[in-house]
Amino acid sequence: MISKYKLDKILMKVEKPSRYIGMEQNIVIKNLEEVKVKFAFSYPDVYEVGMSHLGMHILYNLINDKDGFACERVFSPWVDMEKEMRNENIPLFTLENKEEVKNFDFLGFTLQYEMSYTNILNILDLSQIPILASLRLENDPIVIAGGPCAYNPEPLVDFIDIFIIGEGEEVTLELLDLYESHKNNGFSRDEFLLDVAKNVEGSYVPKFYEIEYNEDGTIKSRMKNNIEVPDIINKRMIRDLDTMYSPEKLLVPYTEAVHDRISMEIFRGCTHGCRFCQAGMVYRPVREKSVDKLMDLAKELVESTGYENISLSSLSSCDYSQLQLLISKLMDNFEDKKVGVSLPSLRLDSVSIDILKEIEKVRKTGLTFAPEAGSQRLRNVINKGVDEDDLINAVSYAFKEGWSRIKLYFMIGLPTETDEDLLGIKELAYLVKDLFFDRPKEERIGNFQLRTSAACFVPKPFTPFQWFGQDTIDEFYDKIHLVKDSINDNKVSFNYHDPRVSYLEAIIARGDRKIGKLLYSAWEKGCKFDGWSEHFNYNDWIEALSETNIDGSFYANRNREFSEILPWDFINPGPSKEYLIKEYKKSINEEITEDCRLGCNACGIDDCAMWGVFN
Amino acid sequence: MKIRVRFIKTGYLKYLSQLDLVRLFTRAFSRTNIPIKFTEGFNPHPKFSIGNPLPLGTESIAEYMDVELTEVMDPKEFLQRLNLILPKDIQIIKAEESISKASLSSIIKWSEYEIRLMVEENEKRSFFENNLETWKELETIEITKKKKKGKKKIETTINILPLIGNILYKGIDEEGFIILDCLLKSGENGNLKPIELIKSLNEKLSLGIDLDLVMIKRLEAFVEEDGKMSKPL
Repeated sequence: MISKYKLDKILMKVEKPSRYIGMEQNIVIKNLEEVKVKFAFSYPDVYEVGMSHLGMHILYNLINDKDGFACERVFSPWVDMEKEMRNENIPLFTLENKEEVKNFDFLGFTLQYEMSYTNILNILDLSQIPILASLRLENDPIVIAGGPCAYNPEPLVDFIDIFIIGEGEEVTLELLDLYESHKNNGFSRDEFLLDVAKNVEGSYVPKFYEIEYNEDGTIKSRMKNNIEVPDIINKRMIRDLDTMYSPEKLLVPYTEAVHDRISMEIFRGCTHGCRFCQAGMVYRPVREKSVDKLMDLAKELVESTGYENISLSSLSSCDYSQLQLLISKLMDNFEDKKVGVSLPSLRLDSVSIDILKEIEKVRKTGLTFAPEAGSQRLRNVINKGVDEDDLINAVSYAFKEGWSRIKLYFMIGLPTETDEDLLGIKELAYLVKDLFFDRPKEERIGNFQLRTSAACFVPKPFTPFQWFGQDTIDEFYDKIHLVKDSINDNKVSFNYHDPRVSYLEAIIARGDRKIGKLLYSAWEKGCKFDGWSEHFNYNDWIEALSETNIDGSFYANRNREFSEILPWDFINPGPSKEYLIKEYKKSINEEITEDCRLGCNACGIDDCAMWGVFN
Repeated sequence: MKIRVRFIKTGYLKYLSQLDLVRLFTRAFSRTNIPIKFTEGFNPHPKFSIGNPLPLGTESIAEYMDVELTEVMDPKEFLQRLNLILPKDIQIIKAEESISKASLSSIIKWSEYEIRLMVEENEKRSFFENNLETWKELETIEITKKKKKGKKKIETTINILPLIGNILYKGIDEEGFIILDCLLKSGENGNLKPIELIKSLNEKLSLGIDLDLVMIKRLEAFVEEDGKMSKPL
C-alpha cells in the first residue's frame, strides 16, 4: 500500500486530485490479504474518460461479486500526476486499496482505441512491471487485454500475455477460476499460460505462435510452437443477455465524468451492416435484453446511483424491437422521480422521430445525425441505409419541435469517393440550413446553428473495407480543403479530425507483430495520450517509424489482395471472410445489402442466435 | 423551513473540489427524497448554500451549510437520512432549524485551523519553536498575490498581519508533526489561507518548514457580531 503521506504530498500539487482517490459511491474495497485472486482493471486513459466506459463497470462488479476475487481500478495518471509520481518514485497504484499494481495477480487492459496503446506501455512502466511480456518473471502480474481492438491483437503481442477475444462476462471468471486452481496447486507462469491457451475458449496467448514473413513484408505463414494450442481463436459471445450477469450498481464519480448518467445496455450487435463498421460485424448477432429484465435493472440502477438520467445504450438503440414499450414504461415509472431517458444515437428514420416526441419533452439541446457520406451513391457504397428524404423528414420535424442546433457527422476518404461525393457534404448542409430558413419567420424557434464534422476514414479489420488502402495525409488535406472552401456560411461550421492521427490509427489498426517495435519506440520518445490533440506529437511518431524501419504506407495506404494472409485472419469473429469479400464486391458496384432482420444475408455465423427470433 | 447543518470533510475526500461537493449533496438530496426547495427558472437547482469554501486538500470538522425545504422536517431525521447516503468522510454532525436570514458566507468572519507540519531537518526543531513566537514583533507580513484582470496579470502586495487572530504552538504529535492552532480571517471581508500564512512565516522567520507536507484541518468557524464571536450553530 502506498503511504498516505507520500500520496498527500503529491496530491496537493496536481490538478483534479479527486481523480486519484477512489472512495466513490458503490466502490468495493476488499481486504486484499484475504483475497485469492487480485485483478487490476485498467482503462488506459484519464479517470473521467475511463469511468464513462460501461464495460469497466460490468467487469468490476462481476469480479467483485465473487468471494475470493477482488477487482480494483487503475487509470492513466494525467501528465502532471505522472511527473510527481516519477519524482517521488511512487509506483502506479489502484484507487481502491491504494495498492501497487505490481502486487496484483492480473493487470487487465480494455482496448477501445488504437491511439491509447502508448498509454498501456506507460502504465506498465509506471507500475514497474516489465513492459515486454518476454521479460516478465514468475511473480509479475499476468497482463491481459480485451475489448474491440483485441480483434487484431498482433500489434500488442510484445506487451500482453493473454488476449480475450469477444465478450468478457463469462470468460473473465473462467480465467480467474483457472488461475485460482493453478495457485492452489503450485503456480507456474508458463504452465498457466499454456492451460489458458488450450482450455479457455476465446483466449489467445501469442507466445505460442510465430510468424514468417515474405520478402515484401506480407505474412508468409503463421506457425504454432506448441502443438496443443488452437489454430483458430473463436470469439466469445453470450447467447442469452437476460441470464447474463448485468450489474445492478455503477460507480458514481465525484468529479464530472464524460457521461454523468446511467448507461443501460439494451442489446448487443447490429444488423445494418455498414461496411466501414467493425462493431457491426464482430458483435453479431443481435441479442436483446427483455423489457422486463430492463425494467428491473433500471429500478436497481436508479436506486443505487441516484442518477437522474438513463441512457439506453447499444450500437444502434433505435433498433430495439420493443423500444416504444420500453420507453413508455420507463417514463411512467420514473416520471415523478424526475428521471429522464435518453438515447445516445438516433437514426434518420421515422421510428426515431416518434421516440424523440416521447423522450425529449423538455430539453431542446442539439441533435446529432450521421449521414456519414455526402451523396446517395457513396452511402450505397458504405451501405449506410439512409437517404436524403430521411434527413429532410427528421430535420424538418426537429425544427418544428423547436430544435435549432444540428450536428451532422461525415467520413471523408471512403472507398471510391469522388469530388462530387465530397461536395455532397456541403449540399446536405445547405439543404438543412434552407429547411430552417424556408420556414415562416414566426415559426423559426431559436438560433440556427449547424455543425458538420468529418472524420478521416480508417479501414478496420473484419470489415468489408479491410483490404482498402487509406488515403494519404495529403489526399485527406486536399479533400478537407475542398469541402471547407465550399462552405461559406456563418451559420454552418465545418470541423475535421487530424488526418495525421487517422494515418497512425490506420497503421496500428491493421498492423502486424512488427508494429510492437513502433509502439515501443514512440513511447520511449514520450508519446502518450495520443488521442488528446494537445499531447499528440506527430514528429515523434514519424521519427519512431523511421528508426524502426517501418513503412507506414505499407500498413495504412496499400491496397491488399484477397489472397494475402492478414495478421488477424486466425481470429473467427463470426462473419466469414467470404462474406466480407462478397460485401466488398457489392460495395464497388454500389449495391446495398438489406438489414439481416429482413432476411438472412448468410454472413457465415454458425448457429446464429437470430434464427427463429427475426426470421 | 431552513435547516443549518455542520458537517465534516475528512480523509481523502478533502480532495473534492467545491463543485464536486455541491454535486455530491445535490445527488444525496435527490436519493433521500428530502423535500428540498428548488430555484425557479430554466435550469432549476436545489437551494442549499455552503459557507466559506475550503481550500482543496484541507480537512474540516466544521463546515456549515444552509438547506431550504418545502416542508417542515425534523432536523434529526434530516441528519439521519442524509448520513445513510453520504460517504463516511462527509457526514453531518449537527442539524438544527435556523431562522437567520443572512447567508452563511456573509456572517462567517473567522476560521480556526489545526496545522501540522514538519521542519526539514530535526536540529531545526528547537529553532522553529523559539522563533515562531517572534511573528508578533513583525510590523508587516507581506505576501504578493497574482490576480488576473482581463488578460493582464497583476501582482498585488498585501499585509496579512491584520488577518491573523492568533498562532499557538500546541506541541508535537506521535508522528513527529509540529502542531499549530491558528485563528485566521475567513470570508468575504478578508480571507487568509493557512498555507499562505505558513509560506510567508517560513520565509520571514526562516523556520525551515517542509512546504510539501503541511496538513491542515479546519476546527471551527466563527461569526462575529458587535465584536463578539460565536459559532454559526
